Amino acid sequence: MARIELKNIQKDWAGVIGVKDVDLDIADQEFLVLLGPSGCGKTTTMRMIAGLEHPSSGTITMDGQIVNDVEARDRDVAMVFQGYALYPNMTIYENVRFPLRMRQVPKNEHDQKIRAAAEMVELTDYLERKPSALSGGQRQRAALARAIVREPRLFLMDEPLSNLDAKLRQSMRVQIKHIQRQLGITTIYVTHDQIEAMTLADRIVIMQAGRIQQIGTPDQIYNDPANIFVAGFIGSPPMNLIEGDLRDGTFSAPGIRVDGLPATYKGQIYLGVRPEDCQITDNAEHLRGEVFGVEPTGDMTYLTLRAGDKMIEIKANRDYRAPLGSDERVNFDTERLYLFDFETGERLR
Amino acid sequence: MFSSKQPRSGARENRFVRYLVLASWAFFCLAPVVWFLSIGLRPRTEIITASPIYWPTFSLDAWNMIWNDWPMAHYLRNSLLAICGSVVIDLLLAIPAAYSLARYQYRGREDIGFYILSTRMMAPAIVAIPIFFLFKHLSLLDSVWALMLIYAAVNLSVVTWIIRSYMLDIPKELEDAARTDGASDLRILLEIIIPAVLPGIITAGVIAAIFAVNEFLFTLLIASTKSAYTLSVALANFTGGSDGLIYNAIALVSFLAFTPVFLVVVAIQKHLSRGLTMGAVKG
Repeated sequence: MARIELKNIQKDWAGVIGVKDVDLDIADQEFLVLLGPSGCGKTTTMRMIAGLEHPSSGTITMDGQIVNDVEARDRDVAMVFQGYALYPNMTIYENVRFPLRMRQVPKNEHDQKIRAAAEMVELTDYLERKPSALSGGQRQRAALARAIVREPRLFLMDEPLSNLDAKLRQSMRVQIKHIQRQLGITTIYVTHDQIEAMTLADRIVIMQAGRIQQIGTPDQIYNDPANIFVAGFIGSPPMNLIEGDLRDGTFSAPGIRVDGLPATYKGQIYLGVRPEDCQITDNAEHLRGEVFGVEPTGDMTYLTLRAGDKMIEIKANRDYRAPLGSDERVNFDTERLYLFDFETGERLR
Repeated sequence: MFSSKQPRSGARENRFVRYLVLASWAFFCLAPVVWFLSIGLRPRTEIITASPIYWPTFSLDAWNMIWNDWPMAHYLRNSLLAICGSVVIDLLLAIPAAYSLARYQYRGREDIGFYILSTRMMAPAIVAIPIFFLFKHLSLLDSVWALMLIYAAVNLSVVTWIIRSYMLDIPKELEDAARTDGASDLRILLEIIIPAVLPGIITAGVIAAIFAVNEFLFTLLIASTKSAYTLSVALANFTGGSDGLIYNAIALVSFLAFTPVFLVVVAIQKHLSRGLTMGAVKG
């Protein structure tokens, strides 16, 4: 059982703000992902929860108890690090055993717990090796085994997959989610990879410049972004954000004209269109552009159109092809267009 | 695979030249050692002669003399005691100090680090007289324990800095992991940090031992009688004896003083070069 609450958390170093006004309420057994570009404060937030950093102000509560002054080693959290952080002088068996020894778990339970954890991450055959004799993926699994062996009340994972290659990352992702569901332990996971965030999370927290931008389920974050930062951060390729003029319900920018938008807004705005909400048809009216790039990926084709000096990304059919420089016409799905305030970046529609 | 078994003639010549250069250098360095040994193992009459003697008579005169007529075993024991003791003291003090300098954040940390190193920056002769009076008032003159303390004090800064630079190389994540795993600071130092910097600790210990073997000034100052003489001072004493200059004994004692250090250095040379450069660059 672990319910974590962060209230008004702030962290600064000699005036430089790392994290500001963070309020979070993490439910028991939840898989929460902190997502954001590097330097956004997500790792600092996690380290404060772990007790490795102390907040400058605000309170951290675990199961109703304020833990600001509780040492990291007494918080009963297990952390998995980006660099694995396996103890190089110990075998994998000793590595996994270390937290049991430190927490005075009775000695006769060690072996059974270690083997159970190793089995869960499929590492039983490597227990007698030193970390230096393992591959990156095996090391990451060993780090995972060390975290799960003592059944902590909270898992913290700091970009655990970012040192692995793409294929391994995908299979480890599935494994991590599976283990978390199996053990039912509250998990906070830090990443800058939106695919990891979307696939793993019950809820995603998007951070930028030390502040929370939005908290929501992956669907909410994707379909209902709170502001231009979230809209531009999530999605691959990300949402097209087109600067233009809105007057009497008509948006216009070089090469682009969209009617039927709400007349309540006027002036300079950003229009947001996801690449998959675009349709290439001969008599389309919303966008006329010049083909700048065609990138077949096998299951679909990425098309880049140039309209004025703006590049627009579009997801087209897998067999779509067009010569560079040719003209193309595109319609947007008007039900799925987003409007953002030009000054504040807040979502208008 | 095949190419490495049958090197091209150019590569072979290249290798030949390389070995020739290395062999010359090795000869240049080792010839004096062989020469020492040769002098140490010949009779006194064959040392100073009009023409060089390439195949001297083998004689254990000097060997017998240093062990029987001179308290060589006593000097050797003094040296070993003072050196080993000083290295133990250094490591006991330097490991926690280095850890503190490498990891903890506190006001004046850099200044303390520099202060520790600065003890190495002045000529030892400057502090010789004050140290003499200090030890006199402590009634520690002419004692091996005093030498142990002095060697430890002289080398503490270097040992601290070498170990510190090794500790800086350990990823912080390792300590964070140990901390969340439930380890106390002392546990982290004993179970994670010390095993990880063991090569650095050995290197620092050996360097301190080498410096201690070669220490002369303070030993001469503190050891006023034979009871506290070490090899290096005993060696100097041979030259001033009433028997005149006993070159074969000097050569043999020098060889005996040199050999153990040489063997240790050969055994750990890989670590040693790393430790020396790290101390230099990162310090």
